[in-house]
Amino acid sequence: MSSRIGPQDVLNALRTVKDPDLGRDIVTLGFIKELEVGDSRVSFALQLTTPACPVRDQLVAQARAAVMALGVAEVEVRLAAPAPARAPGRTLIPQVKHTIAVASGKGGVGKSTVAANLAVALHRMGAKVGLLDTDVYGPSVPILMGGNDAPYVAEGKIEPPVAYGIKIMSMAFFLPKDEAVIWRGPMLHKTIQQFLGDVRWGELDYLIIDMPPGTGDIQLSLSQSIPLTGAVIVSTPQDLALSVASKAIAMFQKLNVPILGIVENMSYYLCPKCGDRAEIFGHGGAAEAAKKLNIAFLGEIPLDLSIREQSDSGKPVALDDSTIYGIAFQEVAGELAAQISIGSYQTTEDIRIE
Amino acid sequence: MPLTPTKIKLAAGNNTLAVHWSDGHESSYPYRYLRGKCPCATCDEAAPVPEQAVGGLPILGQKPLHPERAELVGRYALQIYWSDGHSSGIYAFPYLRSLCPCPECTAARSAGL
Repeated sequence: MSSRIGPQDVLNALRTVKDPDLGRDIVTLGFIKELEVGDSRVSFALQLTTPACPVRDQLVAQARAAVMALGVAEVEVRLAAPAPARAPGRTLIPQVKHTIAVASGKGGVGKSTVAANLAVALHRMGAKVGLLDTDVYGPSVPILMGGNDAPYVAEGKIEPPVAYGIKIMSMAFFLPKDEAVIWRGPMLHKTIQQFLGDVRWGELDYLIIDMPPGTGDIQLSLSQSIPLTGAVIVSTPQDLALSVASKAIAMFQKLNVPILGIVENMSYYLCPKCGDRAEIFGHGGAAEAAKKLNIAFLGEIPLDLSIREQSDSGKPVALDDSTIYGIAFQEVAGELAAQISIGSYQTTEDIRIE
Repeated sequence: MPLTPTKIKLAAGNNTLAVHWSDGHESSYPYRYLRGKCPCATCDEAAPVPEQAVGGLPILGQKPLHPERAELVGRYALQIYWSDGHSSGIYAFPYLRSLCPCPECTAARSAGL
């Protein structure tokens, strides 16, 4: 090489690579670590903000090309483990990087189905995922995930069953079939705290938290007990559901929990016989609402018989990405991971109490 | 981004608690004042805690009021454990900021009234 290339030259070249979601270059974002510049060899690690980053391969390729263009013979790009997003203050689950509440205003919009499938989709993208069912009155995660194993206690902690590689926990595990939970608020609070603190979640990239509908005890307990990474709002497209969804959004904003986006569920119906598309609840309502409220739209999930059937038989459709439903959930999960990486970028500031 | 603290100093000297905010503002709250503004349901209904006169004598070895520790509530509020045993007040960040006793904030508040 005629003139020696220094670290600054390499960084300047890498500045041309932008993260498409964050809209900033990977040097400014602090993604480049352990940069070593030799005579004809450059090596560095790329540290992404979220393990399931959908643009991971693209960024690696672009970063490599940018450095190659300087005339470097050999470029080594390693993927570094993402830095744990340090949640401010106390937390019951220090080893869980991101906690995502899946919520709605109204019941029956498919929160649990979306939560279970998002968990599966994120797991398939290579992340370590847990799924916590906080709907104490109407727990449904074990049915959706086909969990037949029971949790057990080991060394003073509850060991959660694993279904499709995902650790799951639900009130349903602790109830005889056909028994109901008839509790007042303080009991719910204690249960939520136990589900977070007394379950051996271990190291997780994402804990997906399926919420009951509404804005009551469980939502408040959860928002107070842990610093949630953010909330995903599920809604059907009709005005009624959206107007109630906006209440849930208002609650999270009041509690300073970032809204990661809205998912439109039961977006449309494809007739299995003729393939005709029927927009039973209207269509695009959630995308419009997201635009109006200035929050991200994560995608739409069709209303389909196979989603219902597979949900009831404990085989989430996201397990199979050859169907349009599996693909729909993969897309929503990718969009969600992108929103989280933007979020953890914005809230890296830690609140210190001395 | 909503306004949040970046640093909270429980013992910032002179019986005050200091908060550094994400917009760069710094607030300094005298303990008595902050305890008197406790937003919990009981305190809200009860008679306000009287301001301790500057240089006032503590009664028979009773230690002056101070925060023993504080915890964050989710990501929206601060819970202070006072030395008088009270801890049920959850100071939401916007509320905490609205209490800032500095001359500028006080002036802004009275102008808004």
